[in-house]
Amino acid sequence: MQASRARLFKEYKEVQREKSADPDIQLVCDDSNIFKWTALIKGPSETPYEGGVFQLVFAVPEQYPLQPPQVRFLTKIFHPNVHFKTGEICLDILKNAWSPAWTLQSVCRAIIALMAHPEPDSPLNCDSGNLLRSGDVRGYQSMARMYTRLAASPKIG
Amino acid sequence: MPQNTGLLNVKRRNDVVVEKSTQQNTTEEALSERTGESELPLSFAGTSAILPSPEIRVFAQSNSSRDLRKAMVSDSIISASIPIASKEFGKKKRANRTAKLKQCKLDARREQWLSQVKNKCFKEDVTESGGDRHSMRSKIIHRFKNLEIRRSNEEENDISVHHDCDFESPANSPTSVGYDLGNNFVGSSSCSNSSSSFGGGGCCSGSVTEEEEGGGGGDDHCLDDWEAAADALAAITVDKQPQKHCTESSAERNVAVQLVNPIGSSNGGNVAKEKVGTTAVNNRAWKSDDAFRPRSLPNLSKQRCFPMTTMKHCVRVLNPTVSVPKSCPICCEDLDLTDSRFLPCSCGFRLCLFCHKRILEEDGRCPGCRKPYDSNPIRLARSCSMFSRT
Repeated sequence: MQASRARLFKEYKEVQREKSADPDIQLVCDDSNIFKWTALIKGPSETPYEGGVFQLVFAVPEQYPLQPPQVRFLTKIFHPNVHFKTGEICLDILKNAWSPAWTLQSVCRAIIALMAHPEPDSPLNCDSGNLLRSGDVRGYQSMARMYTRLAASPKIG
Repeated sequence: MPQNTGLLNVKRRNDVVVEKSTQQNTTEEALSERTGESELPLSFAGTSAILPSPEIRVFAQSNSSRDLRKAMVSDSIISASIPIASKEFGKKKRANRTAKLKQCKLDARREQWLSQVKNKCFKEDVTESGGDRHSMRSKIIHRFKNLEIRRSNEEENDISVHHDCDFESPANSPTSVGYDLGNNFVGSSSCSNSSSSFGGGGCCSGSVTEEEEGGGGGDDHCLDDWEAAADALAAITVDKQPQKHCTESSAERNVAVQLVNPIGSSNGGNVAKEKVGTTAVNNRAWKSDDAFRPRSLPNLSKQRCFPMTTMKHCVRVLNPTVSVPKSCPICCEDLDLTDSRFLPCSCGFRLCLFCHKRILEEDGRCPGCRKPYDSNPIRLARSCSMFSRT
C-alpha cells in the first residue's frame, strides 16, 4: 500500500518533470486518486492509427508495482489485440510478462509499440485478427484507419 | 639486535647515572664555593682551549645531555651519509626552534645559577655586579662541571673519545632528527602504553623536562616529545620492549635513561646511529607537511597511524555510487548501505531487500531480466556491507 503509493508518487513527479520528453504520451493522474490515471497517446506514424489520439485508462492495483496496472482503451480502436467493446488490451507485459521495473510511462510506450506491431495470433479483436491472419493487410489497415478517423481524430471526436 | 644491547646498556647504566648525578650535585656545591676565588677563570682558561666549541661545552653537562646527543646524532647522520637535503626546510625551522629553546635553557640555567650563587656565597657580588658577570661565573661553573664529567667518564671505557669526536663534528648545530631521537624513549613509551592517552605521556615528559631544566621551555619539550612519539609510531616498532620497560620505570628512571643514552657507551652510540638510519628513512609522517604542521601533532599522528582512516577511505572508494541507483526502482525508497551492496541477480538489477523478498514471495523473477531468482542469490558485496558497517 505505502510502497505502491510512494512509487506512484515518484512516477508522477517523473512525469511532471519530463512532460516534454515524450510528446506522444500524455500521462495524467486523477486529481483525487493516485491509483487512477489516464493517458493520451498519439497513434504511431506509418500505421493506420496515425493522426489519432487514443485515451487509455489505468487502474493501478495496490500491489503495484508487483502487480501490473490494468489498462484499457477508452477510445475505440480497431486492433487485433484490443477488445473492440471493452478496450481491454492483450499485452504480455500487462499479464505474465510484467516486471516491477516497468512504469506507467513504459506501459504507454509498449502500447504504442503494440499498435505499430499487432500480434494477430492472440487476438482479442477476432475480426481484425482474422483479416491479418488471412493476409488482408489492406483490409485491416483501411478498417483501422476508418475507426481512427471516426473515434480518435480530435477534429471529429 | 643492537636495540637489545642498547637496552642492556641503559639498564646497566641507570644506577651509574644516578650516582653520577649525585656526584655532580656534590661537585656543584663544591664548585659554587670554589668559584668564589678570583683565580678560577684564569685557571680554567687553559683547559677550555682544549675543547673546540665553548657553547657546546656549556651544554655538555649531564643535565642537558640531550644537546650532547644532538651533536652526536648529527655527526652520525653525516657519517652515515643519509640524504638530508630534502629535509632542509623543516630542519631549518626546527633548528630555529631548538636554537630558541637553547636560549631559553641558557636563560633558565643562568637564573638558576644566579639564585644558587645568591644563596650560597656571592651575596655581596650580586649586589655589586650585573648579569654579565654572573653569566660568566655560571659559565665557568659549567666548564668546571664539564671537566668533572669528562673525568668521571674517562673512568669508564671510551666515552671521552665519543665526546671528542662529537664536539669536533662539523654539524655542531643541533638537528631536529637527533633531538627527537633523544626523546624517543619518553614519547614512544607513552604511545606503546595506550594510543589514546597521549596526555599521560605528555605529563611524564613534562615532568622530566622540569626536573632537567627547572621549567625552562617545558612546552616546547612536550611538543618535541610528541613529535618523537610520531616518529616512534612510524619507525621504531622494534623498540617496543625497551619502551615498555621505560613506562614501567618511574620518571626519575626516564631521566636516567635520557641521561645515559647520550653519554653512554660506544654501543649506545651505535644504537643511536642505527636509529637515525631507520628514522631518516621512515619518518615521512611529518616530512611532507612539516611547514604546516599544527601544534596538535598527537592527533595528526594518531590519524595517520590509525588503520581505520585508511579503511574508511577504502570503503569510500569501494562504494560505487555512480552505478548504484539512490533509490529502489521498485518501491522508490532510498537504498541503504546494505541494499546498495545487494546484488541479487547476475543481470545487475538492484533493488532493496524488502522488494526482493516480496518478489520472491510472488513469482520470484528478476524485474530486470525476468529470469527467476536463484534460491541462493549472489551477494557479492555482502561481506563488503558488513565490513563497512563495522
